Amino acid sequence: MAQTRRDFLKRTAALSAASFVGIQLPFTAADLARAADGEQWHRGTCRLCGVGCRLELGVRNGAPFALRGVAEARTNYGYLCMKGMHFWKCMGHPDRLTKPLYRAKKSEPFKEISWDQALDIAADRFAAAVRDHGGKAVAYYGSGQCLTEETYLFQKIMRGGLKSNNVEGNPRLCMASAVGGYLTSFGADEPIGGYSDLEQAHCFFIIGSNTAEAHPVLFRRIMRRKLDNPEVKVINADPRVSQTSRIADKHLQFKPGTDLSLLNAMARVIVDEKLHDEKFIADYAVFRQGKEGKAVTFAEYAQSLAPYTPEAAARTCGGNITADDIRQVARWVATSKGTVSLWCMGINQRKQGVWANNLIHNLHILTGQLMKDGADSLSLTGQPNACGGVREAGGLCHILPGHRPVEKEPMRRQVEDAWGVPAGRIPAEPGLHTMALFTAINEGTVKAVWVNCTSPAQSLPNCDLYNQGLAGDGCFVVCTDIFKTRTTEYANLILPTAFHFEKTGVYGCTERRSQLTRKAVNAPGEARPEVWIACEWAKRLAVKLDDPVIAQCVKPFEGLEADYALPRAIWDEYTQKLTKGRDNDLRGATYPVLERMADGVQWPAPTEAFALTGGTVKKFVKGRDPMADSESKNDLPYQFYGPAHEDRKLWVWLRPQADPSEIPDADYPFYLSTGRIIDHWHTMSMTGRVPELLRANPYAFVEVNPGDAAKLGIKPGDMVEIKSRRGVNVLPAKVYEGPMEGMVFAYWHDQEETRMINRVTKDDYDPASKEPEFKICAVQVKRVSGPKPLKPFIVA
Amino acid sequence: MPIGGVVVSTRPEDLAAAREMLAACAGVEVHGADDKGHIVVVFDTSTGEEMERLMRDINRHPLVLHAGLTYLDMEDLQAGEEGP
Repeated sequence: MAQTRRDFLKRTAALSAASFVGIQLPFTAADLARAADGEQWHRGTCRLCGVGCRLELGVRNGAPFALRGVAEARTNYGYLCMKGMHFWKCMGHPDRLTKPLYRAKKSEPFKEISWDQALDIAADRFAAAVRDHGGKAVAYYGSGQCLTEETYLFQKIMRGGLKSNNVEGNPRLCMASAVGGYLTSFGADEPIGGYSDLEQAHCFFIIGSNTAEAHPVLFRRIMRRKLDNPEVKVINADPRVSQTSRIADKHLQFKPGTDLSLLNAMARVIVDEKLHDEKFIADYAVFRQGKEGKAVTFAEYAQSLAPYTPEAAARTCGGNITADDIRQVARWVATSKGTVSLWCMGINQRKQGVWANNLIHNLHILTGQLMKDGADSLSLTGQPNACGGVREAGGLCHILPGHRPVEKEPMRRQVEDAWGVPAGRIPAEPGLHTMALFTAINEGTVKAVWVNCTSPAQSLPNCDLYNQGLAGDGCFVVCTDIFKTRTTEYANLILPTAFHFEKTGVYGCTERRSQLTRKAVNAPGEARPEVWIACEWAKRLAVKLDDPVIAQCVKPFEGLEADYALPRAIWDEYTQKLTKGRDNDLRGATYPVLERMADGVQWPAPTEAFALTGGTVKKFVKGRDPMADSESKNDLPYQFYGPAHEDRKLWVWLRPQADPSEIPDADYPFYLSTGRIIDHWHTMSMTGRVPELLRANPYAFVEVNPGDAAKLGIKPGDMVEIKSRRGVNVLPAKVYEGPMEGMVFAYWHDQEETRMINRVTKDDYDPASKEPEFKICAVQVKRVSGPKPLKPFIVA
Repeated sequence: MPIGGVVVSTRPEDLAAAREMLAACAGVEVHGADDKGHIVVVFDTSTGEEMERLMRDINRHPLVLHAGLTYLDMEDLQAGEEGP
């Protein structure tokens, strides 16, 4: 019987789904009569969150027409989420930036200019700032969405060329506390295990993460593990009931900012009931206290937990938590055959973000729930390359490529040698962290900033304050992006860039996994890959500043075509010269190897032969991690060779409960927390331009607990004013048993000025990680009217 | 007119009811299931927006724990358009 094109596509779709779960259908691929003429499938990684789902983009006649998951990829086993399925719509979108735009003053309209003019202007303004005020007067502010090659090259030009460590990025706003936690607890950044633990875990402790909406593909794996093994326990700890709570055996709804008490109380139960692993602790752990990391004994640690009886913690945490709940979940965490903890912004975006990370790690160190399959302390990431690009390749002000601290002279020398620039070229002091950078822009000491692929005008906390500096003519602002954003409104120069699959490069996801995406379609108009832009900019800087060292920074890449040879050369330089012998050794993860692997390579992967096995699934384990073998100092099976702990031990930290920066009072009686909704991503510059996603959630709203709504006279859809000491929003209400009483929850993606919740959030930050406390501030909540028709808004 | 391949996961004890629910949804074809609670379905909708709404509604249905896309064909749709 003749098969229509539509029948063919439907059967292809059904076979795709069936193949992932091993269900036999009454037809096979061989029965599909029509060949897929002229179709090409290009393998790459999803553009959106930090899970790193592998997929294939179907291209016909130079245009994308389909997406499918890669079944053998260990990140997603073929599954994708609806949001991820739509990112292709950014390609060829009519709103794409296709020509450089310029205005000398921010009050003027933009005019189109040529690339030659644009690059000259960018070089002129940065050169003038450096000439007149030194390297501290310029800055690069990047993104966890830039390819590793892009982050690496920009920071090389900034540090080695312009003598500036003002290299930052939006991961400061989301992952810096996780970095601090891993470094101070394990001596090394990034997780020990990864996603493979999910299918082997017997207990999941999910805290401060709405995994179901923020990382839906990973949530599916957790859900599947629970369904297939009903004895597996799922604990969800969060002030808000979310979609993630659906599969939880126990939901602990604690008052915002009391997480440290909860975690310490769980540790106390473990110690009191002798559920800790004495041999593991004796072999691998020490106890530390205070800013200087003073060594203390186990007995002193136990004594520090004295105030955190389950009863006391239950009172502190409030909500629905009982002392017995705390005892029960502590026992589950400690005694399961394998416990995986997962968290995200609810833990990181806290004034005590590093401490909260430490206290989660404490539970794993105390109980030995590490290094074995099914056990890990796994921080989820929100962006596709926060780990690979920014954390590993030198994208923050205090770290150089290969996890090297700026302040250590030998580390700077290694980088300078690799780059062939004079010793002392990289400044000895770290640059300005994100909040200090935008403060400096307000104060007029940073004269030129390059914002790449992110929108701080919307994503910074208390953004009105920091937008004052961006809006003034005292700071020259360059934006490289694919669409206009709230930040391009403050730009002098907007440079159109190629999008994902329109250029080539590597993303490194949550679990130390690097994956290559090759160019599959052409970028529209005159949009260019950032690596080409950076090289051309640097060459002009060298001329204008008459500084051959700047030219030296891009000399190895001269003449290479930008779609493949250039990013490959940059990747080779970074991995071969700067990860050798470091804990993120990526020398084996060459482009040819990455091209052969369905799902990339997990570092450390010092050789191509090892990388072709997939790399290191479990760090620090002899026989599984080649660096655990090469760095071994004794007969123990685990070797903690991370750069931050010279004693090669895991550190259990004494961290007391501490209040968040702002707690409700008589004037501002409610907690405000913020987060993500499944349909939108970050500042919705991409998802807001996908009609299906925009219409599913055309504007942000505020969730109000029904108890509070009754007291305040708020009905569903009413317009509600959310006001803090910093700013105000007016949002439609969703009356919903999500946030606990005394707390409201708002989504942060909306670009419309009365619904931009970061005008309300607080900009205080963790003193260690410098990550702001987006998740908690005090607000007034007031009904202002009944429902009103609202329109979605995207910066045009 | 997008077409999606989807694995819907439900509790095994809810499988029959979930399968019945899905079969009754416009734009959904049920192609198979197993005793673990996996149901293989194909979405065939007239617009991408309808596909999104269907995915969302099914994901939030009380009988459904998760609906995961594995394949999406949108050859009739152009970037920035929503289809007919």
